[in-house]
Amino acid sequence: MKAKDYRTPLEPVWCTGCGDFGVLKGLTQALADLEIPPERLAVISGIGCSSRLPGYTRSYSFNSIHGRALPIATGLKLSRPEITTLVVGGDGDGFSIGLGHLPHAIRRNVDITYTVLDNGIYGLTKGQASPTTEIDFKRSRGLAGPDERPLNPVLLVLSTGCGFVARSHAGNLPHLREMIREAIRYPGFSFVHVLAGCVTYQTPSYAQEIYQRCDVLPPDYDPSDLTAALDAARADRFQLGILYRRDPETGAESAAEMAGVAGVWKAHTGTDRGIEDVAHEE
Amino acid sequence: MNAPGTSSTLDSNTSRPGGETQSLVLALVGSGGDGVALLGDLLLRMAAQQGLYGMMVQSYGPQIRGGESAVILRVSRTEVLYEGDQTDVFLCFRLADLKRFQGAVKLHSQSAVILEQSDTAELPEWLGRSGRETFRYPFAKIENGIEVVGDPKNMMALALLIRVLGWPASLARETLGHRFGHRPDVLSKNLAAFDKAHGQAAPPAMPISPGTGKGLFAETGNEAVARGAIASGLRFFAGYPITPSSEIMETLVDELPPAGGSVVQAEDEIAALGMVLGASFGGVPSMTATSGPGLSLMTEMMGLSSMAEIPAVIVDCQRAGPATGMPSRTEQSDLYHAIYAGHGDFPRAVLGVFDVVHARNVIYKAFYLSERYQLPVLVLSDAYIAQRRQIRNPVAEHPEAPHRTVWTPGMGPARFDIGGEHGVTPFRVPGSPEGTYLAAGIEHTQEGNPTADGSIHQQMNEKRFRKLKAIEQDTKSWFKTLGAPSAPCGIVAWGSQYGILQEWVANHPEYRIFLPEILHPYPLEAFEAWRKNLKSLAVVEMSFQGQLHHYLSGLTDLRDALRVTRSGGPPLKTSELKRLLEEATR
Repeated sequence: MKAKDYRTPLEPVWCTGCGDFGVLKGLTQALADLEIPPERLAVISGIGCSSRLPGYTRSYSFNSIHGRALPIATGLKLSRPEITTLVVGGDGDGFSIGLGHLPHAIRRNVDITYTVLDNGIYGLTKGQASPTTEIDFKRSRGLAGPDERPLNPVLLVLSTGCGFVARSHAGNLPHLREMIREAIRYPGFSFVHVLAGCVTYQTPSYAQEIYQRCDVLPPDYDPSDLTAALDAARADRFQLGILYRRDPETGAESAAEMAGVAGVWKAHTGTDRGIEDVAHEE
Repeated sequence: MNAPGTSSTLDSNTSRPGGETQSLVLALVGSGGDGVALLGDLLLRMAAQQGLYGMMVQSYGPQIRGGESAVILRVSRTEVLYEGDQTDVFLCFRLADLKRFQGAVKLHSQSAVILEQSDTAELPEWLGRSGRETFRYPFAKIENGIEVVGDPKNMMALALLIRVLGWPASLARETLGHRFGHRPDVLSKNLAAFDKAHGQAAPPAMPISPGTGKGLFAETGNEAVARGAIASGLRFFAGYPITPSSEIMETLVDELPPAGGSVVQAEDEIAALGMVLGASFGGVPSMTATSGPGLSLMTEMMGLSSMAEIPAVIVDCQRAGPATGMPSRTEQSDLYHAIYAGHGDFPRAVLGVFDVVHARNVIYKAFYLSERYQLPVLVLSDAYIAQRRQIRNPVAEHPEAPHRTVWTPGMGPARFDIGGEHGVTPFRVPGSPEGTYLAAGIEHTQEGNPTADGSIHQQMNEKRFRKLKAIEQDTKSWFKTLGAPSAPCGIVAWGSQYGILQEWVANHPEYRIFLPEILHPYPLEAFEAWRKNLKSLAVVEMSFQGQLHHYLSGLTDLRDALRVTRSGGPPLKTSELKRLLEEATR
């Protein structure tokens, strides 16, 4: 299957030039690379501009409520492990209203790929400051809200024990495709931070500025080194690439080790109503 | 698939409680660590093993061990759902601990009273007085005037109490063996204390008529909910610890994985219901359980369940009060929330639990409704049922678990086809080829695509609410009546009031009782037929606002009905019900 075969006929509601188009493209390309059958794919979101994305992917999709995509994906993946389960959403959805779920999804280490399309703004509600809005930008645009420092999503997920952490930006399609592909491949909870500029409530030039503040990690970067990852997360410029990848087999807190210790008691024999049974019942 | 059986499945509960000699009420009071809960549990197990019925309610501080603790245990030849008005046997290790249980313990002229030998405190006035001599026993080990840790008091008390009840020591030893067989050191220590006390003088016997000899089962309301759910097809549970519902999750942690299902302890109740919806989106029958504060957090997610047409069973073990309220106390004040809470219009069904036995039936019905109609179903239990341990007959398992109609390739209709019978369209389960669609909390077209078109919103509301009409037809017989159909005085109540009302109607033949098993949509036709020719009607419930009374007033004419209610706390007693009915009549 080709990338376009993972698209529904629906036309995205996004503004012309929105970074989310790039992510939709990169995501469908990654899915095509991995040859995941659409019926074995679930794309789940909360609410926001970027949360419209599941409607545009041919999959069992779920555009749920604001901030709650991670729990929904957790329930699906635990009860239907054979379904490739992706979560997409924005910075407000994931880092404000829904932030409480993120460390716990990481602790549970259920095999979900969470891609955040971070535009540093509430676009759907027309331009309020979000948890990742930079203070200088907020001041320059006169946005509502106190001068709170933005949070650092990559540092946050690293510090809570995420086994796979990558960053890319919506303007670098081949890189984005690779990051999402490798995240889906990772057997455990994986996190992809995508800088995706808003052309309406930020400016088209601001999106370009952000992209220009990015560096791809050097070839000799060791993604198994957590200290290096923490340094990269705290660097002044955005570091792109796989910042951290814990060995899922041997690394501390491997998937096998995590199963059953973080509040998940798994079925002893798999569900006795397998998909074949369920799908053919009437 | 037809709707599950009607009230006939509940008939095992209709036997009348016996008279004085047939039933005995024991009140056991002690400090934390005295083990009165274990003592009550052992006595209840022994009763069950002999084919006697009974129930036990506990009273202690909200979530914390320690402090004073009381157990009220009623043993009977016939099934009991009410712990009784008066105490036949009162055992207390320290009278200073009794203060908190005013009202729960009440002596009569023939009560046996067993106290600690060294306790010099006076019996409080409110306790009442027995004409019989108080029996004193040296439970406590005293050294230099200070109590130190000695032999287990509850084992000594067990030895005395089985002699009061006329039960053989061999039964107690066997029961202790079952309970502590895996910990030989604890068992031998307990047996030694038991044997030592059993050889001493005991209070006079008040033997209860023997049971059938055929063993019965003791179960709490929370265990019954958990096991009933597994039997009804539950394969995914997510919850967050909360009093008084936590034992549902604890039971499922032990018993669901061997049955092929998974359990998650979620980070909060929003996540718990979210996980349930995710699993159910995956085609797997799913449930969560909580109490009032958790239900409040789940409210937005309930709307999503209904809007995206994803089945979910939500159990609410009601506590008393708003916010934190009184977590370990019972009340019936989540009725409004269950029926009305949430923004926008959306259909849901609400069921009420009568007692431990009924819990299994009602959970089956909850799964039946949620799987068949693809919407959230709330099951209202309460602290009085949840934490009660009740002896019951064996329950008949339902031959098959309810299941939802599942879409298969070539079947046709869109996921949210507005033409579906009763508003229900076949469920597309992930993994099914060609079945991909968008489930959405945003208003959507038949295909699931987002829309802001008012006329589509109207059509989709009509489709979704056709389910409620169909459920109303399907559940017409989901109610229970007690008493003679021609009795002139009527009581309508719900949930755990069933227990006391069964006792009430046995002693007041002038009353007939109506108890809806489904609260929303309400079985109104049956209610109107039942209330014909009544001289008086009282709405009995435990909610300060009288939520059932108010709710029913919106459905039918209740202008002449008496409002018989109070805030939650301790369960109603028959003496109190009598007084409340009299006050309401005045």
